[in-house]
Amino acid sequence: MSGDYLWDGSGEPDPEIQRLEEALRPLRGTRPAPELALPRPRPGFSLGGWNSLAAAAALLAAVTATTRAPYPAPGAGWDLAWLEGPSWPETRVVREGRLGVGEWIDTLGSRARLSVGDIGEVQLEPATRVGIVDAGRRRHRLSLARGVLHAMIWAPPGRFLVDTPSAVAVDLGCRYTLEVARDGSGLLHVEAGWVGIESHGRRSLVPAGAACPTRRGAGPGTPYVESAPDALRQALLGIDFGSDPRARRGSLDLVLAAAEERDALSLWHLLSRFDGEDRGRVYDRLAALVPPPASVTRAGILGGNAALRDAWWDELGLGSAEFWRTWTWSDSSDGASDPERNGR
Amino acid sequence: MSLEYSPTMSDRADSGPTPAPSAEARLVAAARDGDRTAFGRLYERFSPMVHGVLLARIPRSEVDDLVQDVFLQAMKRLRGLRDPDAFGPWLAAIARNRARDHYRRRADTVELPEDLPAAAPHPEGDALAVLAALRRLPEAYRETLVLRLVEGMTGPEIAERTGLTPGSVRVNLHRGLQMLRGALGRSATP
Repeated sequence: MSGDYLWDGSGEPDPEIQRLEEALRPLRGTRPAPELALPRPRPGFSLGGWNSLAAAAALLAAVTATTRAPYPAPGAGWDLAWLEGPSWPETRVVREGRLGVGEWIDTLGSRARLSVGDIGEVQLEPATRVGIVDAGRRRHRLSLARGVLHAMIWAPPGRFLVDTPSAVAVDLGCRYTLEVARDGSGLLHVEAGWVGIESHGRRSLVPAGAACPTRRGAGPGTPYVESAPDALRQALLGIDFGSDPRARRGSLDLVLAAAEERDALSLWHLLSRFDGEDRGRVYDRLAALVPPPASVTRAGILGGNAALRDAWWDELGLGSAEFWRTWTWSDSSDGASDPERNGR
Repeated sequence: MSLEYSPTMSDRADSGPTPAPSAEARLVAAARDGDRTAFGRLYERFSPMVHGVLLARIPRSEVDDLVQDVFLQAMKRLRGLRDPDAFGPWLAAIARNRARDHYRRRADTVELPEDLPAAAPHPEGDALAVLAALRRLPEAYRETLVLRLVEGMTGPEIAERTGLTPGSVRVNLHRGLQMLRGALGRSATP
């Protein structure tokens, strides 16, 4: 029963673990919460009271600095730690250094960790090649040529971008995994928050619990929830990256037949991937699963009205997409920046 | 590497977004809006986790100050947290980063080992000796074991507050304890 005791304290106590607990207990933290200046609560908010106008102003200034002013970027590069061990979590830091803008690393058989300024960190799996494109004060940008990275970002949306050979991923906060194969294909898994991904005029918004494939020359595919059946995922691949119109239509038949309410995310994206009669079929299936708000009309959707599509998104229960709707690629040209094309 | 819907994330990803905010998400939203009581509750709930993450990495005498520093940093950045349900993993990442910063800023100083023999018996001598052994373990084992053995958190609590899967926490606890026993010179079965 010692396993249960170690796990959750249940079962017969393990005397050795108890001895360790007793020995280590004096090391527990006991200090109370720090005094913290917080912004003034909104009128009517009821969880607690706080009236220091001066302190509120101080924190408001701090919050404004955090969200509007640039993040400090000491030095043009990020801290790099090389990790050693057979597999995570049996890893430890064996060497530390710094990766500058324009520099690339290949992790080969090792793992590594990059600190993204002070806005987050990226863990790199073995056989991963990355380079820093921008470590500026307002934007942090990494290029992933191949391999697997896990990103954890705590900055406001849009501050951290990852170029891949097939699309650009824009962090909308805060945790995801991105894989790139040697042929430039990619796969994005979002674990928390949202990630926007775009290239070649295609855009996808991927919320937590969903994934999205990408292909060189085509951009991002249609996102799907991780619990979607394999048949539906394969059919989406046929739609997104297939070249035969008849086969593509057959794939749409499969998706519409297999789709359930959980797949509203995929169907919503398909509204802009088809036109004409096929868009109408997507509309009908999505409307049956998640009825559109009264303001959204079939004619409007079939006519390609983006505002109506956005209004429908708000009914899907996937959170606000406001930031992503207004996002502009002011410094990323057509979206994807191809690391191989850049001589890497 | 397969790109055909790798199952590598299947044990980590949720089944889908949940529309109803959790109690934790409500506390985060309230703290973001300036509610001190909510901040206090978040501190009460998460400070043992932050304390453990730091204690696994930096000298004990500096941990308490840094716990407060981590919360101050977190509160300043709270508006950047898009998913309030990810508060715990987000806070843990800030704490780990803060511990790394601590060493970068003190690169010119030499840390004395915590288990340095003292002239007279120290009331926390056993604790510091065990802590020194813990710190020689791989990072993930060390952190999880400190959260369990020092902070008194259960495995499910560690998973919930750090964002690790329950499976990873279980592995870390069992393998870490096995290694700790070896480091302390004890047999695998007491």
